[in-house]
Amino acid sequence: MSDRFSRRDLLHTAARGTVLATLGGGAGFLVKKAHGQVVWQVDSARCLNSRLGEVGVAACNLCTTECVVALSAVRAVNDHARCGRCNICPAYFNITSAVDERGLPSEKLCPRDAITRRPIGKADPEDPANNFYEYLIDEEKCDGCGKCVMQCKEPLGLGSIVLRIRYDRCVDCNRCSISRACPKDAFVRVPAGQALP
Amino acid sequence: MQYRQIAVIGGKGPGPGQFGAALRGIAVDAAGNLYAANDAQITVFDASGRLRRRWSTAQPVHAVAVAGDGAVYTGQIHQIEVFDATGKLVRTWRDDALLGRVTAIGFVNGDVLAGDATGRAIRRFDSQGKFRNNIGRDNPLNGLLIPNGVVDFGVDAHGIVHAANPGKHRVERYTPDGELLGHIGHFHGTDPAGFGGCCNPTNVAAGDRIYVTEKAGPRAKAYSFNGDLEAVIASDIFDANCKNMTIAVDRRGRVYVADTVKLSIFVFEQVAG
Repeated sequence: MSDRFSRRDLLHTAARGTVLATLGGGAGFLVKKAHGQVVWQVDSARCLNSRLGEVGVAACNLCTTECVVALSAVRAVNDHARCGRCNICPAYFNITSAVDERGLPSEKLCPRDAITRRPIGKADPEDPANNFYEYLIDEEKCDGCGKCVMQCKEPLGLGSIVLRIRYDRCVDCNRCSISRACPKDAFVRVPAGQALP
Repeated sequence: MQYRQIAVIGGKGPGPGQFGAALRGIAVDAAGNLYAANDAQITVFDASGRLRRRWSTAQPVHAVAVAGDGAVYTGQIHQIEVFDATGKLVRTWRDDALLGRVTAIGFVNGDVLAGDATGRAIRRFDSQGKFRNNIGRDNPLNGLLIPNGVVDFGVDAHGIVHAANPGKHRVERYTPDGELLGHIGHFHGTDPAGFGGCCNPTNVAAGDRIYVTEKAGPRAKAYSFNGDLEAVIASDIFDANCKNMTIAVDRRGRVYVADTVKLSIFVFEQVAG
């Protein structure tokens, strides 16, 4: 047997490590919850990207740039119960980009192409506007940059997309870099039992 | 075509002629009196903007309209309260199924139209309150696409109903029987002739032309019935967080827009020449 590490071995090890880290993180969160400990959370009412009244400003991406975890322990989630299922979603499309032959914006907003758009039910070929659309965020791609959150905010959108912590990734630093950098003090400690998934 | 602002009516505050927390609807009667649906009351101003009277409604009021006989119809949750011109309650129509949240009211051929935001449709009733038909509901989505949460429409001199369908970036034309005749409008994020954002226009009025308001960024515009943009009436004066700004037009062509954050009614008239 060769003692060389094959590419397959490497991938297996990496995958196993990821799974264990995920399980470990999730298990750690459950332990904290059981013991009534506190965890970090993004307060949407304070976050620059989601708080009402902050219009005409650039999205804040400090959750991406400050987090010590790869890809960031923060990601965007879409509350489908609040989502308008719009034909033209400002969080999906760059709504100021050129309009294509279908009448839709030609560019997407997400720099990591983490959001997918698909019609709910059978799309009307005669009139694509005659449909509801579902917007799904791929957590493996999302780095929590907040652009979609800013565009989904009222009054442009309905505020269904917000930033949340990935508790399976967050390493729960005592002096969290994001919390120290956040200009709105939106990175807060809450009892684990009150943490939003 | 250009418009200029000639007056501001109302404003946020406790004073007479001011609004407390909400300004959700406006209407103008044949004499030019202005009716505001604010908080849980109706406030009436004369044509020069002076406060004439105000009265309370049973619930927070979401829409107001004045019939040809001077009766004042007010849209609420599950009901329409009808008052005489002095504010005396005449009758209450209650319908839990067909009147969800009534965000617009209009009149056509003696019938009453109610924009039901819960059902995403316009309900047509006869003058006695008997249901006749829906408008805007016979489509694959079973209603108007209104992520903004209000149904709004205007009725032109020919009895055609012009309904905002903001999710489709259109103003749709319907017969009173509910037949879709066509639409104006299309999405465009930068061209003022288009409707931007996720869902615009939010509000519509019909007079000698079609008037609309949009949200994010808020603006009021005038279109020909063919869909040609004739004027951007105003944009910068509205609060950037405004949405669902009711728009009305009087017989002189003056345009009234309700700023839902400043709680002010801006009045515009066309610049001659």
